[in-house]
Amino acid sequence: MIKTEKILHLKSSRGRKVRVVREHYLREKVPCFSAGCQAQCNNEGKVLPADLTHYVVPDVGVVLDFLEILEFREIQGIIFTQTACQAVQHNKGRRQYNRLRNLLRDPRHDCVLFANEFQEYSYCPREKGECHEKWQTRCVYSASVWYYNHLAGLKDIVMVTEDREAVTQYSSLYSGVYVISMQEYLHNFWLDVHAAHELYSSITQAALGRENEGSEKEYIEHLPSELLEAGIKSGRYVQGILNVNKHRAQLEALVTAQGFSNKSTELSRDVLVLGIKHRNRAIHGDSVVVELLPRGEWRGRNTALTEAQGEERSAEAPRSQPMPTGHVVGILQRNWRDYVVTFPPRDTPNQSRNSQKILTVPWDHRIPKIRISTQQADTLQDHRVVVRIDSWDSTSLYPNGHSVRILGRAGELETEVQTILVENCISVSAFSEAQLKEMPVVSPEQPWCPDPGQVQARRDLRESHLVFSIDPRGCEDVDDTLSVKQLPHGALELGVHIADVTHFVKEGSLTDLEARARATTYYLADRRYDMLPEVLSSNLCSLLGGVDRYAMSVLWQLDADSLEVKSVWFGRTLIRSSYQLHYELAQSLLNGEEPDVPELIRLPPEQRDRNLCDLTQALHTLTHVARHLRAQRDRGGALELEGVEVRAQLDSEKNITALVPRQPLEVHETVAECMIFANHWVARKIQEAFPHQALLRHHPPPRQEHFSQLQDCARAQGFSIDTRSNKSLAGCLEQAVDPQDPVVNQLLRMMATQAMSQAMYFCTGAVPAEDYYHYGLALDRYTHFTSPIRRYADVVVHRLLTAALDQEIDRSVSVGSTRDMEETAQHMNTRNRAAQHAQRMSTELFQCLFFRDRHPETDSDCLADAVIYGIRDNGVLVFVPQYGLRGPVYLRSRGGEVVSVATDGSCDWSSGTLTRNADHITTSSVSGSATFRLFQHITVCILVHTNPCHADALNLQLVRHAPHKSQSMRPVGGHTRARLVQEVQRQAEEATLRASLRPKLSREEKQFSQSKQPNLYSLLEEIQELSLMSSEASAQRLCATTA
Amino acid sequence: MAGLELLSDQGYRLDGRKANELRKVQARMGVFAQADGSAYIEQGNTKALAVVYGPHEMRGSRSRTLYDRAAINCQYSMATFSTAERKRRPHGDKKSTEMSLHLKQTFEAAILTQLYPRSQIDIFVKILQSDGGNYSVCVNAATLAVIDAGIPMRDYVCACTVGFVDETPLADLCYTEENGGVSSLAMALLPRGGQIALLQMDARLHQDHLESMMEAAMTACKGVSKVLDEVVRQHLEEASALSRD
Repeated sequence: MIKTEKILHLKSSRGRKVRVVREHYLREKVPCFSAGCQAQCNNEGKVLPADLTHYVVPDVGVVLDFLEILEFREIQGIIFTQTACQAVQHNKGRRQYNRLRNLLRDPRHDCVLFANEFQEYSYCPREKGECHEKWQTRCVYSASVWYYNHLAGLKDIVMVTEDREAVTQYSSLYSGVYVISMQEYLHNFWLDVHAAHELYSSITQAALGRENEGSEKEYIEHLPSELLEAGIKSGRYVQGILNVNKHRAQLEALVTAQGFSNKSTELSRDVLVLGIKHRNRAIHGDSVVVELLPRGEWRGRNTALTEAQGEERSAEAPRSQPMPTGHVVGILQRNWRDYVVTFPPRDTPNQSRNSQKILTVPWDHRIPKIRISTQQADTLQDHRVVVRIDSWDSTSLYPNGHSVRILGRAGELETEVQTILVENCISVSAFSEAQLKEMPVVSPEQPWCPDPGQVQARRDLRESHLVFSIDPRGCEDVDDTLSVKQLPHGALELGVHIADVTHFVKEGSLTDLEARARATTYYLADRRYDMLPEVLSSNLCSLLGGVDRYAMSVLWQLDADSLEVKSVWFGRTLIRSSYQLHYELAQSLLNGEEPDVPELIRLPPEQRDRNLCDLTQALHTLTHVARHLRAQRDRGGALELEGVEVRAQLDSEKNITALVPRQPLEVHETVAECMIFANHWVARKIQEAFPHQALLRHHPPPRQEHFSQLQDCARAQGFSIDTRSNKSLAGCLEQAVDPQDPVVNQLLRMMATQAMSQAMYFCTGAVPAEDYYHYGLALDRYTHFTSPIRRYADVVVHRLLTAALDQEIDRSVSVGSTRDMEETAQHMNTRNRAAQHAQRMSTELFQCLFFRDRHPETDSDCLADAVIYGIRDNGVLVFVPQYGLRGPVYLRSRGGEVVSVATDGSCDWSSGTLTRNADHITTSSVSGSATFRLFQHITVCILVHTNPCHADALNLQLVRHAPHKSQSMRPVGGHTRARLVQEVQRQAEEATLRASLRPKLSREEKQFSQSKQPNLYSLLEEIQELSLMSSEASAQRLCATTA
Repeated sequence: MAGLELLSDQGYRLDGRKANELRKVQARMGVFAQADGSAYIEQGNTKALAVVYGPHEMRGSRSRTLYDRAAINCQYSMATFSTAERKRRPHGDKKSTEMSLHLKQTFEAAILTQLYPRSQIDIFVKILQSDGGNYSVCVNAATLAVIDAGIPMRDYVCACTVGFVDETPLADLCYTEENGGVSSLAMALLPRGGQIALLQMDARLHQDHLESMMEAAMTACKGVSKVLDEVVRQHLEEASALSRD
């Protein structure tokens, strides 16, 4: 069976040289993973196709340096040797190795791993005195020869190496095994893959550039890892993630300590790292080890507002209490990703003399400048480019990198949107052909119809239930429908039917993998990137009216009076939605009006009346049930943040202007409540069936110290907020209403939202049971089940539910491991965060583009009312309800002048002083003094601060110390936002037209006709659920809700 | 080097074995003439020598005499040169005392001690080279030595260690695997009846996984027993061929 052999290793542990003998077992049968195999290898999983002209075996050096090129999907038939994989693990660390592993696992990529060192004939023991690199090359070569022989000489094998000697030594030995260099290989075989060639030259340039570098030390060397580990254990060093301050990227960085073994309580706070030298080549996001400085050198953080980026402020800037300060002594794990940088214009003086090397400025403020060696410096001027950092030696002031991909000229809409995607690590390419092949074929001539077998297997609700959907107007992807039915013995049957995506997307299929990688549909301000191919998301999985569709259903039997749940049924069903309603229509039906329901127009009058009556009755019952459910959750302490405020405003607005209300209607809440109910019950079901592998969503209670801003502000206004539990918080927020100013409550709720932690997916096996609680919704278990078209979590939950149902029949059904589920949950959490960041950034981008071409003095759009919600040393923080903007307003300019206010409220700059108090800030100058209090209304002017290298930013400037006059005339928030997006798009379109004179209208139009918003119910749901609500996002969403 | 990959994606372990494969076992019985029974075993790179004296009269203090069965005395030791770094190993340190005790318990369960009341059986085991699984190799060596001494046993006692990595049990751990943060379990089994003579585990393990580990350990032990059986038969053939001449 196995032949044993022994190898000798010389290994040093604790510095001493030790001779270690290890066994090494070899076997004859090692799977080759080639479809052209003649020897009946046991090939499971990914297999290289037989119809390629050749297979390529990269040498160790090639894999180490050019892995990025091998990642191109165009390059097929790659055989990675075990020798190379081990070298990657050894030399490049875990991150790079995981990348390689993912590559090998990815079925979209044509590459396999060959365990050459365990194959009897391809293994070659290292000879005495042979250097490591030579031995590795020999191993790879012998693996190539083995492949050639194993495939009976039918397939040519190309070994790619950067070792010149190896090329001459081996190339003539065997006729079917070619040994060539990387450059030759690309040139001969992949001439048309230009991106690969460019990447190759950029990597080699970078490598060359690295060699001829000075030896002058700019930074202290990092300590070796043994010392670091010992230091962390003994408590001398602190380990944590480096977080660079966005506004003072040059100066301040915080290390958030993690895995604290240190007992001393004063260190439980973050550690400050001041200055570039102390940061010692660590980059934002790296896992670092810091040593604390002596207490005498501890500093405080800067608390003043800074205006522009990158400007060093003088030392007299106000500082907070001194806090633990340290310097980085070592880096445990680099966390580099792809960065977007901008090439500066050539004539700027801060260029290095060597014209080959360009210092580029990353888009993200927190990343230091990156030095790129390139020959295309001239053509790349003012372009945004994706780069990767290669190294940062102690001898160089800046890290070295190489360029990967060119995005386009800075400032253009398309470039900026791509930048946002790259910066959030979102990669969305079009769905590949192979993926689309998995989809059922649907065409107008050949419409899809349910499979008879499936009709048998599913519960048929087409005739027995009145099913309808309520969505925003014009929605294409309907993933939830409702039904409600009076049962004969007086009980009620409530049903929620969700599109059965998992029927079409089988686990492990290409579509599934792609959906998992995306994890969610990405909504940007002007476009969206779907998680599933269009044929599914807007056709087969969309529960449209009047057609048969597969669904996953939850049906509850409720007691007629008490509305207690008596029984619940889960299962796969076949439904036909009778009505595809939109919110306004449903609400008007509820209000007793008689609008035209499109489905009913064709019917004869008496039947129309009967149907209409049935539908209205169903809606009323539904509302009744939803109110009851809502009340139940309210008793548990469910929070509602912005929702109420919007409604309150609706009243006032209705009274004054009697406009058609565009605020959330009760029917929104009804639908949302049913969905929450369904999610909750499904969560219970899967958690009971799989106590260790269920995917749930929890919302940890917020940390009390985060509420301090909210409490301070509320106190200034005379309210007290009890934050001890979600119930008391909800009650207090309900009461904290200023009848004169609705914005007060809105702001307080916003601050409460900011204090919240994030709701997250988790796997039940990985978290103690007491942490399952959902704080915002006040439910003990919660998950996502109702939107499988746009969230991958729901797809996972659907699968779990199916497995749970199968388990009732067959006990042996089980699901994957806890670890895999936890990994999936973490992945979805990060993707969701990225999606939200991207959405927020794109909204900001559009705001900037909107204001960029407006002259602040002449355009009335640039003047707006703002409310003060925070006081800082040299200014105030304000919120602009009209645009949902938030930002600082400076009361002291950089020259030291302060704002002076004339009697009519207009403002000017003059010399004077500022005094800051808890709830107000006073400026005093020759012309008098003015006080700015919390919740005061002022008028600001919105300016765009353009910056060639980074994203544009909006600046707010004080115009008048009085409320903006025209405020009541303006429509609120969201409408403006939608208009804003359209406006900017139109401009961009015109610009492209002007630039290229080639009409691109069709594409823009296509984008435009998509349903741009996530549907309203989902927005509502997310608000109530308080998912990520970081500062601006909450304000944005608030606007969106009013749309 | 943070965390060796003990089990690769393709299912290979560090030394090229699959998860359920044992190391190569080679053994010889009757290596010393002056003892009643002796055996030498190599399990991969772990090498052990076992010697059995007895059953004989009680030596030393008579108070330890058992009136209904034989007393078993085990002694475990490691050679100074058995590990990568030479180290003096005094007798009676905690580790070897514990190991001796475990061996004693194992063999009390396996040897038919009631056949030899008021007598004593000595089992001495020495590890010559250590590469993981010391306990199980000792048990296997001692079994062969006891058989060589002609002492009746209920069955072979076969031992094996099993580790748990990535939801998969690994049979017969080597030194690097034992040190790689694997929760390991040692089992001594009487393979024919499937009775467990000793089961030992120090590490944490989720109880859901215990069953699969026990299963794997039993299979591994049965594998070992097959090899040992072969060794015994071979030895018998040789011995009988010699005596016939």
